[in-house]
Amino acid sequence: MSGEPLARGAPRRGGSLRGAGPMRRGDALAGLGFAGVPTTQDGGADTMRPGALRGAARGRNLDGLVHTLFLRLSPVIAAVVLTTQVVIAWVNYGDQIRIEGERARMMADMTARALAHPGWTETYGPQLQALGLDPAFRFAVLRDAAGAVVARLGEEPRGRSFERIQVSAAIEPGPDARPAGSLTLVLSAEGLRANAEKQFVMVLGASLALILAFALSLRLAVGRHVLAPLRRLLAAMGQVERKDWVTVDLGGSRRPSREIADISAAFNHMVEGLKSGDEARHLLAELERTHARLAEANGLVMESLQYARRIQQAVLPGPEALRGQALEVAVLWEPLHVVGGDYFWMEEIDGLAIVVVADCTGHGVPGAFLTLIVATALDRILHDQGLRRPEAILAALDTLVRARLRQEAGDGTGASDGSDDGLDCGICIIDRANGALHFAGAGLALTVLAGGETTRIKGRRHGLGYRRTGREDSLAATTIPLADGQTVFLMTDGVSDQMGGASRRLLGHRGVAEILKRHRDLPLDGQVAALEAALAAHRGSEPRRDDMTLVAFRTGGKAGSR
Amino acid sequence: MDRIQIPATSRSPLVDFDFPAGRLLLRGESYPEDAATFYGPLLQALRACLEEGGGPLTFDVALSYFNSSSAKALMNLFLPLEDAAEEGREVTIRWLYAEGDDTIAEAGEDFAADFSHARFEMVQETAA
Repeated sequence: MSGEPLARGAPRRGGSLRGAGPMRRGDALAGLGFAGVPTTQDGGADTMRPGALRGAARGRNLDGLVHTLFLRLSPVIAAVVLTTQVVIAWVNYGDQIRIEGERARMMADMTARALAHPGWTETYGPQLQALGLDPAFRFAVLRDAAGAVVARLGEEPRGRSFERIQVSAAIEPGPDARPAGSLTLVLSAEGLRANAEKQFVMVLGASLALILAFALSLRLAVGRHVLAPLRRLLAAMGQVERKDWVTVDLGGSRRPSREIADISAAFNHMVEGLKSGDEARHLLAELERTHARLAEANGLVMESLQYARRIQQAVLPGPEALRGQALEVAVLWEPLHVVGGDYFWMEEIDGLAIVVVADCTGHGVPGAFLTLIVATALDRILHDQGLRRPEAILAALDTLVRARLRQEAGDGTGASDGSDDGLDCGICIIDRANGALHFAGAGLALTVLAGGETTRIKGRRHGLGYRRTGREDSLAATTIPLADGQTVFLMTDGVSDQMGGASRRLLGHRGVAEILKRHRDLPLDGQVAALEAALAAHRGSEPRRDDMTLVAFRTGGKAGSR
Repeated sequence: MDRIQIPATSRSPLVDFDFPAGRLLLRGESYPEDAATFYGPLLQALRACLEEGGGPLTFDVALSYFNSSSAKALMNLFLPLEDAAEEGREVTIRWLYAEGDDTIAEAGEDFAADFSHARFEMVQETAA
């Protein structure tokens, strides 16, 4: 039994199952061979602490099991075998002694009978000599009736009586024949004793051989079916501890004993569970990391967009822009993604109220960029160029946007690079002094609600900007008289393009007009708020598709805004 | 010219431009973040197909929503078709709209005004 530790070079601790020191916490487990494995008191999370399982392997000398089994079992077996054999030998010996005694008696009787005739005291010679031929013969003496020695053969024995068998027989020649006498025969029992001793030595030898064979077969069997599988199990545990998900082979010539096979199978099962759990944990952790990165990235983008929204809102006119016009004004500006491509402008210049609503292509950041171009262009048109006719303003805007986006530079055949962006735009010039409203639109219509009926004044079909196709209609203005209680709406297509409803289709400008008519008696703020609520109701679970902007003003009302 | 097939997404329509068979189809909703990137390759393929010449061409447009950039992209697709029709090719554009969908029907009517050589059919679909 080599007693080689599994973990080479590691200090041996405990030695074997025999080791017993003062009891400490965990010694109960240690006694079962679980030393070094954390108990639940240490916290279940520690189970996979590096070194935990290796510690268990290092602390236990598995050969100690065979050693212990041998030391515990062999004395018992040896004692049993030896005792049995000694008892058998003893009984044998007793039988031999008894048989030898009977033989001696028979010999003595036969010799005595042969001598039993008159005058035997003279003729005893041949019979006595015959006795002397027996290999066990030691001594014989013939006595007469008086006890006087007639003859003797051999050496009178001394010493311990158990080494000899002594029998006596009476010599009775007959009722008449005299003299009678006796024969005393002594046979040696030394041969029997030597036999018994030889047998004992043989039994001892056989017992030793038996114990040796037992030890060898125990070593072999335990080594093959217990120790080797346990070593494999421990090696696998060590690998599993390093998250190398190996299982233990249960077949082969070194098939483990049933108990170890059960443990190994349980171990394999556990490894599979740990492996899938570990993979799931890894995936989950990866997912969480990705999610955190995405959340962070999204947070940054949203922060940036919020900042951009503040800038975009700063560009938009405040609610007091048309204060002097005795107009009730309401505005809905709702970009789809924090910022957007919808833009509106309200300003009072030279007694005219100028209201502009524009829907630039795209939404979000690209749309917002375009709104800044439009805002700058509009500022130039209104203040530098001093244009006051809506169709002239639209035409100037078209020119400026094309120039800014360099859309005139290309050949207009639509290479995929270069800008092909533009905007839909509607402009109202409210001339209170002359009681007229001048409207011009490019891709954006005017809705007038008066006397419970809505009128829609479409502008030109094509928007402003974009590469020229040569098919654009000319821009023209429409003039309508101002009337008290008249409500005028300029809105981007995001307001009417609301997907939803039972048939899942766009609400359309007719749907919007219906909603506005339904709420015509509300103050303008309330009417717009009701529209917004109705749009949300129409959408239901559908997301909004676009930015939406609505600028409404009602004549004859008090100045106010939302 | 190979057939172009792109499955629909929530923001872009199904595309099935079967140039060999002379049948083009757009179906679904169209509001991609970048309409130029989506429609650019389609426009190039259409131009290439028209240059090759060939038989009659039918373009089915069945959009339930499109944003203004998509409208512009559609216009860009329609222009070479109208030009091809002017040069004598048989081109039919079928504008499919759901029954009662005024917005899409009106948009179709607006587009129809741009065509004088190609046939532009308004087709009402009863099943949504």
